[in-house]
Parts: sequence; structure tokens; C-alpha cells
Amino acid sequence: MTQQNIEQFTKPIGNANEINELLRRYGVKFGIYKNGVFNEQFFPFDPIPRVISSEDFKSIEKGLVQRVNALNEFLFDIYHDKKIVKDGIIPENFIYISKGYLAQCEGITPKNRIYSHISGIDLVQAKDGEWYILEDNLRIPSGASYPLIARELTRIAAPDAFSENEIIDNRNYAKLLKETMDYANCGGISAILTPGRYNAAYFEHSYLAEHTGSVLVQNDELFVEDNILYHRTYSGGKTRIGVLYRRIADEYLDPLNFLPESLIGIPNLMEAYRSGNVGIINAPGNGVADDKGIYYFVPKMIKYYLGEEPILKNAPTYLPFYEEDMKYVMDNLGKLVIKDVAEAGGYGVVFGSDLTMEKLEEFRQTIIAEPRRFIAQEVIDFLDLPILDNGETVMRKADLRAFVLSGETTKVWASGLTRFSRNPDSFVVNSSQGGGFKDTWVLKK
Amino acid sequence: MSTISKEHSDRLFWLGRYTERLFITLRSLDKLYDRMIDEKHGYKEFLGYFGLIDTYKDSRDFIRSFLYDESNPNSAAFCLERAYDNGIVLREEISTKTLSFLQMAKDTLYNSQSKANIRLSLLPLKDILYSFWGSVNEHIYDDEIRNIIYIGKTLERLDMYIRMKYPFADVEKEFIRLCKNLHRVPKGTPYRYNTNYLCTVVEVLGTERDYELFSDKAIKSLEHLFEPMEVTV
Repeated sequence: MTQQNIEQFTKPIGNANEINELLRRYGVKFGIYKNGVFNEQFFPFDPIPRVISSEDFKSIEKGLVQRVNALNEFLFDIYHDKKIVKDGIIPENFIYISKGYLAQCEGITPKNRIYSHISGIDLVQAKDGEWYILEDNLRIPSGASYPLIARELTRIAAPDAFSENEIIDNRNYAKLLKETMDYANCGGISAILTPGRYNAAYFEHSYLAEHTGSVLVQNDELFVEDNILYHRTYSGGKTRIGVLYRRIADEYLDPLNFLPESLIGIPNLMEAYRSGNVGIINAPGNGVADDKGIYYFVPKMIKYYLGEEPILKNAPTYLPFYEEDMKYVMDNLGKLVIKDVAEAGGYGVVFGSDLTMEKLEEFRQTIIAEPRRFIAQEVIDFLDLPILDNGETVMRKADLRAFVLSGETTKVWASGLTRFSRNPDSFVVNSSQGGGFKDTWVLKK
Repeated sequence: MSTISKEHSDRLFWLGRYTERLFITLRSLDKLYDRMIDEKHGYKEFLGYFGLIDTYKDSRDFIRSFLYDESNPNSAAFCLERAYDNGIVLREEISTKTLSFLQMAKDTLYNSQSKANIRLSLLPLKDILYSFWGSVNEHIYDDEIRNIIYIGKTLERLDMYIRMKYPFADVEKEFIRLCKNLHRVPKGTPYRYNTNYLCTVVEVLGTERDYELFSDKAIKSLEHLFEPMEVTV
């Protein structure tokens, strides 16, 4: 398939209903709370794949490896010497007021010095073909299981599409993840910690546990004794855990170190981690590096730690914290997208163009009052992708979450989660906001 | 799998029980469907087995309730939801493929509601449940895990057969099956039998006469079969 053909690839592979029926059969769901009520929804799948050329992927791959390596360096630095602050590259203020910075992690060096083992980096492709980084997710990025199982099922539903096109087989994600977990293992079994069935990503937790041969656990099955993490077995015994892929947020991980009211954490987990007796994937405290405010500084980090020019660009971003940027934001608020750095999942994103004059003025005052709380970005005119909507092909906004796994080496999974907005007027693609997903094909050549 | 938690062992047990209860309920309803072609209130005896009174307008009302009413704890829908609730948290133990049969069962049961011939449209549901058990055998490599599910299944079957006054020969066969499964449970784990209660079941099911006279005692002992043994000094 040539680049020209890629652009023209607008045909669905197989029958959308058949594929969605298969996804349904295998329980590909995500949970969502609306008005306090939990509902499980099937994640709508679009049968027109996103196709990434081999050349494009090589460049993305290099850029992502570079970025994640720099972010890992940054995390080590921030929780140790803070040279990047001392050298004036990042203002101190941005580190310590970040909600993701955890003083409890000071001085901790995880096994092999890897903090972000699984990084979910969100990218968009602009109409000129350039890829931009939108966001780094270094805490508990989710979504890999959906394209993983979707590929398995689309190969059943539409075998010709795969025999006629040379596509990299992406069904190695669980193998990559297992290698990553094994590399972080400090001696013992591998476990995936879930908050439970009513978590939005529960399907993913259980699916990845199944495919990596890990034990899926909840906090009440775990305990720490003599700084070692154990799984309590049904016979009253205990099994040592060597690596914990936790799918709960930092602040809930350990009630004795973080939020005391957490009912889903494990008391003294941080002591076991600090003693080097258990690997935690991803490391607690990573939030300081994927803070939307810190995002602005990632290209500077790449130069500072690696001495290289960034391969992938950030979306043009302004920090109202800086006087010059504040002036630009105030002058151009109506055409910018403003993001609340504390929010995630598509929440806290405001497009200036959507606001009335009155609301715009109100928002302007909020930014002036809390400049550190927001970043502003140019609205990238990103490439629309074709999706099938009631039998018709329509164009919608879409992004790509690429998964980067850091173990013995840093590897980019040759696939990713392409999410799209079902609403023609929306740039927000999150599943929690009603978006769907499609397969991401990376071509072999 | 090298480690099983208490929570998961309970889930495995109840997955076995509810899936089997669903199967027996469907099989019983299928027989009743046939019976009700000739007898309008042919379901009364079935209600009697569970100490239930007839509050149904007609056989159609009864069938609807026992198939689809999730608030009826004896219905197929209720059993299937409970089986699914237990199965969904056991994916890494029972496999996505095994779990998919419960999702298919849910879809088949749900879709049958709108079909003109419900009995016919439910035929694939039993096939799906046979496949579920085939998948349990095929995909669960850990004998301990598989055995807990089978203990749930065989216990439920024995309990239902006794309640539904199945012939002694059938009950005896199922009891032997349960005993074989119980024998495989390691000491010190929650599904190790309580000797006292097991002895009572052995006594009741020793002869056909005792089975007919004391089946209530057997049902009660089965309820307590996994109670920890009292230790006396």
C-alpha cells in the first residue's frame, strides 16, 4: 500500500455489525458512571482502520523512544538532585505545585531506574502530515487491550484485509508487557492491582492479567510484612509479589503514605517499594512528569538530558504563568484551547471559540487569578479520519494513543489506540465522552 | 496460576453453582413447556419443590417469570446474571473464551424474549452452556481452580436433584461425582468438606428408603458442607 493509497483507504474491512458482535461476545466493555449510576457499555468499534505508513511509524517510533527516555531521566532527576531546576530549565514552582509531585517518592530509585514502564503518549496528525504530541500519560495509561482484542477479532471477521495488506501483527502487546513486568520484578509473582469490577477499565485489567499470566488482585488480598508484599492465599498462606502493575491512582495506593481515607490501597506498600522488594508499574510520583504544565518543558528536557533535538513536536503551547505567554493568551483567547492541568479524560478542556463573550470574559479572569492552573494551545487543524456512521462514511476528529514500553530497551508497540469523536463538531475523542475506536495498522513497508 | 485468594475461590464456587442452576432450570422449564401443552397449570408441582405458591395468571406468566424476571431468584435470568457477576472477575483464571459463553448465553436469553417460539429459540442456550463447560475443561490448566468450579456444579446439581425428588439412582450417581471432586480438595482450604456433615449425607443417601424419608436432612447438611470443623481440646 502506498502513501497515496493510505489516504484513500476509506473502506471498512468486513462487516461492522459482525465485528461489533464479536467484540460484544468477548465482552469488550468499559464502565461509565452517569449521575452516580454505573453502566457497562460496549466500546463502539469502527471498521475503517487508521493506516500508518512504515516511514511515518519509524519517525514516530524514534521520537517516542526519545521522549520517554527523557521523561524517565527527568523523573529520576526530580526525585534526586533536581539538576534541571538548579540549571534553570524548569522553574521550581512548576515542580512543587504540581499535584503529581509526591514528596514521599524523594530519593527512591526503582529497579533499573525506570519510572515510566508503560507510557501512553497521545498524538494527532495535522493536515500537513506532521505528527504532534498532545499529552503524555505516565501514570496509568489505559486502552491497549482494545486494539489488541480488536485485531484478533477483525482477523476472524475480515481475513482478506490482512492477507491483501502487509500489516505488522500487533498481537505481541501482552508479550511486551510481560517482558516489561519481568524486568521490573524484584522477586516473586506478577500481579495486576485493580480497584475492582466497577472501574471504567476493568475489562482491560482482567484481559491483560489473563494474557500476561499475572494474578489479578484487589487490595484486600494483599498485605505487607517485613517490607515484603504478599498475596494472601485461600489456604491461609502467602505468596510473594515481585512486581505490581497497579491500576489505581497514586494517592490511593497506600493509606499510610498518601490519602488516609483510601479504602483501595495497601498499607505500607511504599515501604516495600522503597526497600526495593517490589517493583511498581508505573512508579508512584510519575504525575509530576505528565502534568499538563510540565508538558511545555518536555522538548527542553530532551535537549537537556539527551543533548538531542526533539524529533516529535509539541502542539504550540502557552503558559499563562509567563508574562509574555499570558499576554498572548489574553489577546487570542477566542481561538485557543484552554486546558485545566488538574483534569483528565477530556474534562477541563475549553475551546475559546465555543464561549460567549460573557463567558470568555469570566474565563479570562479565572486564568488571570490562577495562571498556573491552565495551559493554552493553538487548535491544531488535525486530520479527520473516515468513520462509518449508519452505513455512511463521514469524517471525524481522531487521535492516536501510542504505547511505549520501557524495559531492557524502550520499545514502541507497532499499533495504538485510535479514538475518534462521534460528534462532528467535537475534538474530544475520549471513550468516557462517547467516542469510539478503530484498529491502527502500521504497514510493514 | 500459582495463588488463589479466598475471594476468588468463592467466586469460582458460585460460578459453578449458578451456571448449573441455570442449566437445570432451563432443562426443567423445557420439560414443563412440553407438559403444559396438555396441562394448563402443569407447573404447580415444580413450584412445590421449592416451597413456592402459585401466584401466576397462567402458564405463560409462569414461564415469563421463570425465564426472564431478574427479580425472581429462581429464574434463569437471575441465575445467569449471578453466574456472569462471578465469572467477570475471574477472566484471568477461566479465560476470555470461557467468559464469552456467558455473554453469549445472556444475549441468547435476552433475544429469545421477542421470538414467537421461545422454546425453539432457547435451544442454542443449552448448547452454549455445554460449550461453557467444554471451555472450562479446555482452558483452565490449574486443577485446583477447575475443581472448585466443579464442586459448585456438582453440589448444586445434587441439591437440585434432591429438592426435585429425582430418582435415587440419579441422585446416587451425582453424589459419587461430588465425592470425587471433594476428595481432590487440599486440606486447610475453604472447600475442604466438614466430615460431620458429609457423614450425614452419606447416611441419608445410603439406601433408597433413607433417601425418601430423610432427604431434607441431606439438603440441610449440604448447606453446611464447608463449615469449618470445630476443634475440641
